[in-house]
Amino acid sequence: MNLNILIAGVGGQGNLFASSVLANYFTDRKYAVAAVETIGAAQRGGSVVSHLRVSDSNIYSPLIPAGKCDLLMGLETIEMLRHFRMLSADGSYLLNDYKEPTVLCNMELDTYPSDEAIMGALKQSGKKGYVIRATQCAREMGNSLLTNVVMLGALCHLSPLLNSRGVRDVLAARAPSKVREQNLKAFDAGGTLISAAIGQS
Amino acid sequence: MTTKEYLMGNEAMGRGAVEAGVKVVTGYPGTPSSEIPEYVSRYPDVRTEWCINEKVALEIALGASLCRTRAMAVMKHNGTNVALDFLMHLANTGVRGGLVLVSADDPGANSSQNEEDSRIITHLDAHLPVFDPWCPQEAKDMVKAAFDLSEKTELCFVVRPVMRVCHARSPVALEEIAARDGTPFFEDDRSRFIMSAVREPKAGGTLRPVLRHRWLNQKQAELALIMEDLSFNYMEEGEGRTGLVACGIGYAFVKEAEQMLGKNFPVLKLGTLPLPRKKVLQFARKMDRLVVYEDSEAVVEGLIKQLLHDEGIQTEVAGRSGFLPTEGELSTEATVASLVKLYPELERSVPESAPLDMDIPIRTRTQCIGCPYRGLLHALKLVARKTHGVVAGDIGCYDAGSFPPLELQSTIYCMGSSIPVATGIAYSGSEQPVFAIIGDSTFFHNGVLGLINAVHNGVDMVVIICDNRTTAMTGFQPHPGSDTDIGGRPVAAIDIAKLCTAIGTTSAQTVNPYHIPEASEALNRAIAEKGVSIIVINAPCYLLGRRTGDIGFTPREVSVDAELCNGCKICIDYFGCPAISFSDGKAAIDQATCVHCGMCLDVCQRGAIK
Repeated sequence: MNLNILIAGVGGQGNLFASSVLANYFTDRKYAVAAVETIGAAQRGGSVVSHLRVSDSNIYSPLIPAGKCDLLMGLETIEMLRHFRMLSADGSYLLNDYKEPTVLCNMELDTYPSDEAIMGALKQSGKKGYVIRATQCAREMGNSLLTNVVMLGALCHLSPLLNSRGVRDVLAARAPSKVREQNLKAFDAGGTLISAAIGQS
Repeated sequence: MTTKEYLMGNEAMGRGAVEAGVKVVTGYPGTPSSEIPEYVSRYPDVRTEWCINEKVALEIALGASLCRTRAMAVMKHNGTNVALDFLMHLANTGVRGGLVLVSADDPGANSSQNEEDSRIITHLDAHLPVFDPWCPQEAKDMVKAAFDLSEKTELCFVVRPVMRVCHARSPVALEEIAARDGTPFFEDDRSRFIMSAVREPKAGGTLRPVLRHRWLNQKQAELALIMEDLSFNYMEEGEGRTGLVACGIGYAFVKEAEQMLGKNFPVLKLGTLPLPRKKVLQFARKMDRLVVYEDSEAVVEGLIKQLLHDEGIQTEVAGRSGFLPTEGELSTEATVASLVKLYPELERSVPESAPLDMDIPIRTRTQCIGCPYRGLLHALKLVARKTHGVVAGDIGCYDAGSFPPLELQSTIYCMGSSIPVATGIAYSGSEQPVFAIIGDSTFFHNGVLGLINAVHNGVDMVVIICDNRTTAMTGFQPHPGSDTDIGGRPVAAIDIAKLCTAIGTTSAQTVNPYHIPEASEALNRAIAEKGVSIIVINAPCYLLGRRTGDIGFTPREVSVDAELCNGCKICIDYFGCPAISFSDGKAAIDQATCVHCGMCLDVCQRGAIK
């Protein structure tokens, strides 16, 4: 068994927490796990990517090779698109429909791609995937910082190797007690969102 | 019984040092090494501290080692440059208690100003033994072994992890923490610990530096024998007569490439310098060709070529000198590509990997939303533009002011270079006013020396010291201006403005950057002065302040009055808060990301931001 998960987003979106919940889910089940994150020098607003690799045999590099990613989870739109080449032929993506403009886009020196262009390119790629509004859902629940957990809840429906209940238990154990209930609700909301998206496709 | 814990490579190295009985750990923060002292600071019986700079950190560690206490100094490659002068001396004196230097490299410069392979200065220059780990478990094992071997050989051992080892996470075996015998005691040996050009009567009047150099050279044979037996160097059988020499992280990529291509090559896994000579020769004699995979310069490749040349062995050797990329990080992709070059039939096993067919905007670095420095950078940009001033920059969060939209700083080199570079610009004969901008931690690290030099020599310039009370860019480590240390204990905070006044600067104004007019007035006053004028920008880092409840402003709801906004874009092009966007000729504030610092109220000259 091999499973490679790449999470792409911008600083402050809880990328590393999502990755650590999944890592613990698999270490608890005695799989070999290796992970690494790439964070630029900026504390916030820069690209953040975490690689998570799981196997029942040896893992050598913590970095997923291009074309070997099974699940690509994008917490921010262009950050996911940037890493699209990492996806394997039968890999799937899960995109949060959330756009953080870049400095150069704000200055009108660059253009953030339009929804039509993005959907067109995704369709043309022939890759499986879903787009959900996790940040909007998290905001409706009162805290945009729950985006990562909504996405995690949804991701668990995209691979038979991820047992939703099992990941939820790890989340319950790792979330700080003050926000545990809120986290579990966000996780469940992610499950509902993805079920609806799968139903529509 | 050993248990396994899911650890980051840096945590694993910290744990290795603790298990080895380390008692003093020093360092200066720098990605990718910062989490090592932070991890060790959990153990209260280890004296752990962030030092003013890396040279001081290494000097402290050596002092402890001289009393037979195990000590470790931690830094990134740039820091090892700073510590190099001391390192070149301690290499000659040797050590007593195990002394380990962790010098973490950032090939690919993911989070650095330059790419550098610190094996060159630590091994080829200082002649010290270096361990190059490939994964967190080996990094921990190497740190432990380094302490034992350091004591055995009386040499400082260097562990050189790269970012992908420092930041990798995987289950790591924990072992018991060693109990160490003996009471620390300083025992004199002036023939070793006084490095000076003095003649040694017992050695026929030879100068001591030559004798110590000879001692260090003679140690190399002992080291080479030790490396021969270490488990960090081994051979793996495989098909064919092309041998892959996999050094440090290179081993991870070589094994990954083998798995991907479904072919096993003969592999010589190396993790030490000096090289295990016999193992290398034994391997090379069986091969027609060696390819050396290492990050990031052709260090092992060069040493193997030299060894084979001396032994008259004809095996061809290739690697980072040109066959593999000569810059950037090694990767599975680069490793696979090199093997496909040698064996084109392997191409079919390379997975397809196609980028999306569209242009994707890049993200340049900028200040965080709510960062106090944005107000200062805005004020300085307007003043520098009006006066045609030149701004010399330095290393830290505020360096993002050098990118769009502000493009304020005109130079950025290494820690502390802003003030001396500005001094040179002032001496050049140019009539442009000169500014230097430097952060708090960077000012203490090295900047203060340039300031003393400038004041002493009578330069006219304005120096802006950005004090947000923490080393924010590397993850909020305290510095000498902070009132708590790495473990949260209260310590004496050095007052930057008072220090500058004591040095003799013309003035030292302290400014709250959330009040932009205050910053502008201070800048204008400073430019009118002769000599070195200091402006200390004083407000807590917003990200840290949000955690501790000490933010530098009173939150205010702000929004753009679209009627009043004339689309001048000063808030975009001369301020650049990411919470302000621009569309259809008008600015708008994203209420979901705005943190209500209110600085933009002073930016808009039409009063459209309310």
